[in-house]
Amino acid sequence: MVEPLPRLPFRVTEFAPSDIERRLEFVNLKPEDHKRIGAVKAEVLDHLDEHVSAFFDHLAQFEEAWGIVGRRDLIEEAKRLKREHLVAMVAGDYGRQYMDQRFRLGQLYSRASLEVSIFMGGFHGLMASIGRRITNRFADDPLTGFEHFTSFKKIAFFDIAIIVDAMMADREQTIRQQQEAIRELSTPTLQMRDRLLILPIIGMLDTRRAKQLTDELLHAIRAHRAKVVVMDVTGVATVDSKVADHLIQTIDAAALMGATVIVTGISAAVAQSLVTLGVDLGRLTTLGDLQGGIEEAERILAVRHGRRSSDAA
Amino acid sequence: MPVPVLKQGGVLIASIQAALTDRDLLQLEADLAEKVGRFRARGVIIDVTALDVLDSFATRTLRGIAATARLRGATAVVVGIQPYVAMALVQLGLTLEGVATALDLEEGLELLRSSAAARGP
Amino acid sequence: MNGTRVAVSREADIVTARQLGRELAAKAGFVGSDLTLIATAISEVARNIISYAKTGEILLSLATKDGRQGLWVIARDDGPGIPDIDAAMRDGFSTGRSLGLGLPGARRLMDEFEIVSELGKGTTVSLRKWLR
Repeated sequence: MVEPLPRLPFRVTEFAPSDIERRLEFVNLKPEDHKRIGAVKAEVLDHLDEHVSAFFDHLAQFEEAWGIVGRRDLIEEAKRLKREHLVAMVAGDYGRQYMDQRFRLGQLYSRASLEVSIFMGGFHGLMASIGRRITNRFADDPLTGFEHFTSFKKIAFFDIAIIVDAMMADREQTIRQQQEAIRELSTPTLQMRDRLLILPIIGMLDTRRAKQLTDELLHAIRAHRAKVVVMDVTGVATVDSKVADHLIQTIDAAALMGATVIVTGISAAVAQSLVTLGVDLGRLTTLGDLQGGIEEAERILAVRHGRRSSDAA
Repeated sequence: MPVPVLKQGGVLIASIQAALTDRDLLQLEADLAEKVGRFRARGVIIDVTALDVLDSFATRTLRGIAATARLRGATAVVVGIQPYVAMALVQLGLTLEGVATALDLEEGLELLRSSAAARGP
Repeated sequence: MNGTRVAVSREADIVTARQLGRELAAKAGFVGSDLTLIATAISEVARNIISYAKTGEILLSLATKDGRQGLWVIARDDGPGIPDIDAAMRDGFSTGRSLGLGLPGARRLMDEFEIVSELGKGTTVSLRKWLR
């Protein structure tokens, strides 16, 4: 089963125009470099497939790169982008669009779990391929060949810097999200009153977190002798089939321990997902909002209490 | 090792110890069937608190005990299913359909009381 | 295979096998619900041996793959073999209409599952679970 390509949200890049200029200064790009790059256009453009293959064939040797090489759709997209990049590299316009193009590729690499170290190896393969063509062209005048390649390399290093920055930025964002999820995980289940547990679920819900949730909830049911659990999913934006399965399993497991689970805060989007995933919503006791859920829970507990006190009488 | 069965009013209480063999469980099934009839029990509580694994055989047998009790006019309640055991049961896809469950002995007794009250005189 | 071997011929051996499995899993680093899942899976395959082959053995050992640690369980018997593995693996558990072989259940609890069976020769089930 092929999973759909992750949708990369187009992020407003943090590069200001001044950043671009500064970055070009960092690689010391001069007018003569522009000229030389223009002069070796053919060495790049006439052999695009060869150069692109050099990059990806190098990556294919390493299982650490399977995140991208192993996926048909990802690698086709990446190759397409790489071709466009090579064309742009010798086109001479190194502005906003050029930056965004490379930033997007860096994001793609990061989402495919490609590490900077492997990327560097691949990139070197690419440079070697281009370098060979340029050197051959100036076989009679190696020094001039070297000068041309050096000019080209300035843009290449400019590129690397952007791509690596993008990979790191994406990595940082993922780490932040994970830290957020961990923080939310340590939110203790709240005990409102006797025999009633309220469990607000906030943020990213993946299978690992769902499993941890089940674990905590069931132990809390035992510890607090809860009879009713109000599970509020207002804070959950989406639910995939594995997580939906886990939620159903949690509810079934709680029932084995004598506790009823009321689910509140199911958004229209989540309800839609659940229905699409074939979850029988009739099996869930669902109510609009948390308040409604608490009232229903108290009703259930009161009925119990009522019977109890008439017993004692 | 046979499972001890206590009588509390109209309720039979079986407390299962850990390391229960299949034979012990089948013996319990027969034992409870006999005792429900003999004491005209209204309820049977099977306490599985000490069990760290409930596999397909165990759940089949528990369902069998509940069915037999029902035939003789009694309600069976399984109590004390531990969190990890509950998780394994649902993941395994095993159901305790037809068997009431409660958190512990106290809740089990309460459940029997309220279902008896619901049934009326 | 560095590990433990449990001969399975009486139903008391089912308990022995799953308790040893639990211990070894704990040694491997499994905690919490995984220990119960593993013990339950072992219970199911051990039970199969008793029900259908009368005798067999359970082999338990630690395993490593790609730097991950895990537990390896092999349930072997010289019984009659399973005539229709597909039917046996069909999930009829929830309806109670499965052939009662406990195999689909065991597969669900573990990460890797392999089965080889030959009529008249016997059955070997291999199960593995990996630490996250």
